[in-house]
Amino acid sequence: MAWLDANLVSVLNGVAIGCLLFILAIGLSLVFGMMDVLNLAHGAVFLVGAYAGWVVGGTDPSWGTFLLALAVALGIGLLVGGGMSLLTEPLRDRSHLDQALLTLGIALIVAELLSMAFGNDVQAADAPPGLDGTVSLFGNAYPTYRLALIGVGAVFAVGLWLLMSRTMIGSVIRATVADRDMVSAIGIAQHRVKLAVFGAGSALAAAAGVLGVPIYGARPGLDSTVLILALVVVVIGGLGSVRGALVGALVIGQIESLGRAVLADAASFLLFGALALVLVLRPRGLFAGAVR
Amino acid sequence: MSGMVITRRRLLGMFGATAALSACGSSLGGGSSSDGGEQGAVKVGLVIPQAGVYAPLGVDMKRAWDLWLDRHGGKVGGFTVTTVVGDEGETPQTGVAAVQRLLQSDDCDVLVGIVSSATALGVRDLVTESKKLLLIANAGANDITGTAISPYLWRTSFTNGQVAAAMGRHLAEQGGTDGVFVIAPDYAAGAEASAGFQDAFTSGGGTIAGAVKPPFGTTQDYQPFLSQIRSSGAKATFCFFAGAEAVAFVKQYRQFGLADSVPLYGSGFLTEGGVLSAQGAAAVGIQTSLHYTSELDNEHNKEFVAAYQKAHDAVPTVYSVQTWDAAGVLDRALRSAKATDGDALSTALGKLGPIDDSPRGEWSFDGQTPKQKFYIREVEQKGDGFVNSVIAETDAVGQDG
Amino acid sequence: MSRAAKVVVPAVAWLALAGAPVFLAPYATTTLARMLVFGLLAASLALLVGVTGLPSLGHAAYFGAGAYAAGWFAQHVSAAAPYPLLVAAVTGGVVAAATGWVAVRARGVFFLVLTLAIGEIVRQVAETWEPVTGGSNGLYGIPATTLAGEPVVHPALLYWFVFAVFAVGFAVLWLVVRSPYGTALHGIHDNEPRMRALGYPTGLYKYGVFVIAGTVAGLAGGLLATQQRLVTPADLGFTTAALALLAVIIGGARSLWGACVGAGLVILVRDSLGPTLDGHGPLVLGVLFVLVVYLMPRGVAGIRPRRAS
Repeated sequence: MAWLDANLVSVLNGVAIGCLLFILAIGLSLVFGMMDVLNLAHGAVFLVGAYAGWVVGGTDPSWGTFLLALAVALGIGLLVGGGMSLLTEPLRDRSHLDQALLTLGIALIVAELLSMAFGNDVQAADAPPGLDGTVSLFGNAYPTYRLALIGVGAVFAVGLWLLMSRTMIGSVIRATVADRDMVSAIGIAQHRVKLAVFGAGSALAAAAGVLGVPIYGARPGLDSTVLILALVVVVIGGLGSVRGALVGALVIGQIESLGRAVLADAASFLLFGALALVLVLRPRGLFAGAVR
Repeated sequence: MSGMVITRRRLLGMFGATAALSACGSSLGGGSSSDGGEQGAVKVGLVIPQAGVYAPLGVDMKRAWDLWLDRHGGKVGGFTVTTVVGDEGETPQTGVAAVQRLLQSDDCDVLVGIVSSATALGVRDLVTESKKLLLIANAGANDITGTAISPYLWRTSFTNGQVAAAMGRHLAEQGGTDGVFVIAPDYAAGAEASAGFQDAFTSGGGTIAGAVKPPFGTTQDYQPFLSQIRSSGAKATFCFFAGAEAVAFVKQYRQFGLADSVPLYGSGFLTEGGVLSAQGAAAVGIQTSLHYTSELDNEHNKEFVAAYQKAHDAVPTVYSVQTWDAAGVLDRALRSAKATDGDALSTALGKLGPIDDSPRGEWSFDGQTPKQKFYIREVEQKGDGFVNSVIAETDAVGQDG
Repeated sequence: MSRAAKVVVPAVAWLALAGAPVFLAPYATTTLARMLVFGLLAASLALLVGVTGLPSLGHAAYFGAGAYAAGWFAQHVSAAAPYPLLVAAVTGGVVAAATGWVAVRARGVFFLVLTLAIGEIVRQVAETWEPVTGGSNGLYGIPATTLAGEPVVHPALLYWFVFAVFAVGFAVLWLVVRSPYGTALHGIHDNEPRMRALGYPTGLYKYGVFVIAGTVAGLAGGLLATQQRLVTPADLGFTTAALALLAVIIGGARSLWGACVGAGLVILVRDSLGPTLDGHGPLVLGVLFVLVVYLMPRGVAGIRPRRAS
């Protein structure tokens, strides 16, 4: 029975990690689904948020500093995303590979600037007070903070669903994913939509960075690790689809938790093996968003 | 976008001027030149990581080297030292290139440093063929002074197996910790540490409750493995982690409540240097084995720590001491050999007796790597920070554990 | 550019490369050899990316597979040239053939991510298959390649060996590009559905070029094993693949020689400039990259001499 309890904890942990990945990946998915721009700097924005969380919150944050760090990260993410949207504007007519590569160059620059500013040491911080303890789960101790992440993820997912299905902005986003040219034909300027989505998506990535600090810390190299995870999530889930990003994130969360617990010997191959498998069976991901 | 035309001339102008004039010469000469420059001078190539994840170790190593030279008037063994720093980088691709540059372009006589075991093994042939001495100041792979041994590669640091075996012996002697769970990442150093610990622990009568190897470099979340430790019913955990993985594991070990019920033991790198400040209170109570801690109570260490703190406003780490000792050992060898070529220095090193003025205590070479005492340390709070205090000592052991 | 210049400039470049050891110091020669190895990898990637339009982030897998095969062969069977190189090329081709059939069915960003996944899986294999690949320490102590019984260790001789093999590999790529097959590949890049409508088996063609590129990459890997005498999982991974892609873009995706120039720049920045910048070489690479994407859409290959007005 202890075996079952341990694996139930892994399942729950997978959901917690999945929620964090969802907040991170949704921006990447929507930007690509809407604009065909693969933002390879997404991981670097996450890292910017993580360092913001560590600097503003400190190693022992109070609720005030934690929320302040979140706000700062959202702001910086918005600016960076907006900036990137403007930077990719001139390349609008070039191939999508060019735009993706531009973001790769920006990712390199941002990562190096962060390393010059904050050094190469690994930084870590605790969760805000009240969330830094443990809860007893199936007879095992489990960090309260990760349970809180599930709560945050659930609220965010519901909020996003409401936004997408009940508001004007949501329908514009869905329409742009489905047929970009039609949307501009009815008078909504494409570059404004792109600016908004890029900004919001990056803001979310930076927020995910702050939320991830008690688990992942902040260090050089974290940006590429996280970028690869986000890429796998959106490609498995299907680009441009909110539902797909959620399913993809939860699936990857399970692979990284339950998968590693149960299939410990093959642990290194699970993530990319799963990705390859999905792409072989469903080349456009599980829930392809665009009808193009 | 099609407006700006960059002419060939402008581009060549930008790059041409910077084209290394030092690249000129001829490669057709016979073999490598150099007799080390004028008499009484030695050119030392310091190979340390200046970029990437290992950069903090490189900083410690350079500080110790500079401090030694400062306190000895810039001379080693009576020879005036010119130090050329080579950037080992993060991977052997850059490491091998750095060593090649130091040997071929900068004409160094002696090389000191190297953090990564893969790089050390990778440059073995290069260094051996050029007959220059390499004093390894960190890389811990057993093979460097084992199956891949070469008369030109000497080491002042440790072997992975040796460090872990010290803890294995200590736990076996303590008794009462039957059922230890072993966790180390899936790469060469982790495997060597795991094997070293298990051999020493089981030959002392201990039993292993289980073992697991998290993927190396791609694990940030240790929950699946922590759950395994809990469900195995182990009485204690032995681990080997370094760098970012050490920070993540120790913090999560505490976050998941294991720290109170299943005491954690490890190879000293788990709590050494920068990682300890990142771990903070989560590391308190962890016991590790290592051949050095800044809290050692001998006169050489007290002097060393005081000087290091004054010069660099930081506490020395094991990486600093290894490089300090490399300088000290080179000093003795040069004094005895009175020459800078690899053969003479290698012979001189072989004749060195015990090194009795090292901050880590007395040690000697055994099979070109240190035979040294190990300290069992426990993390404690001291003032505003945390330190590894000594709670026990072991006898001197060589690389066979 | 005048017709005469089109012949003279490349000829001069080849002659300069051939004669390099005569006027370059040993370390510069070694660095140039390293650039040639990486250049061959980048050129093979240019065949995929620029000519056929398949942006691969996992091309280093075939490079590494070839390198490991050559290294293992030199250690356990024979280090006599050209056998390790042949084994390397064949291994690269076989691994490309095994993984290519699944990769070429994907398009655009899916192809990008799938090749990334393939690359990482192959790297994990190298990292964990210790008996054959040496695990995370890699394959070290690879014996020097022997020509007629004599080991090639002198920097100049080693350079000429690398240069000769580079020339062969480059020639193969160049011939593919100039052949009718190459023209068809250009067509697939520009408008695949149209090519299909014209009756070309585009899937088969893409698979074919994937295998050819993988074979040449494997050959480049064999050169790496010969030149560096060390192969580690880092040579297979995402970082190497990304650097190769950077080199191709800087050089101009559709140009083979441009990719070689790009490779030279990348190696130069990483090995020579990096140390002087306190290890912040990637910053320069990133800036260079951004500048190239903005200002030189056709890369270094697209630079035109100023016309007399």
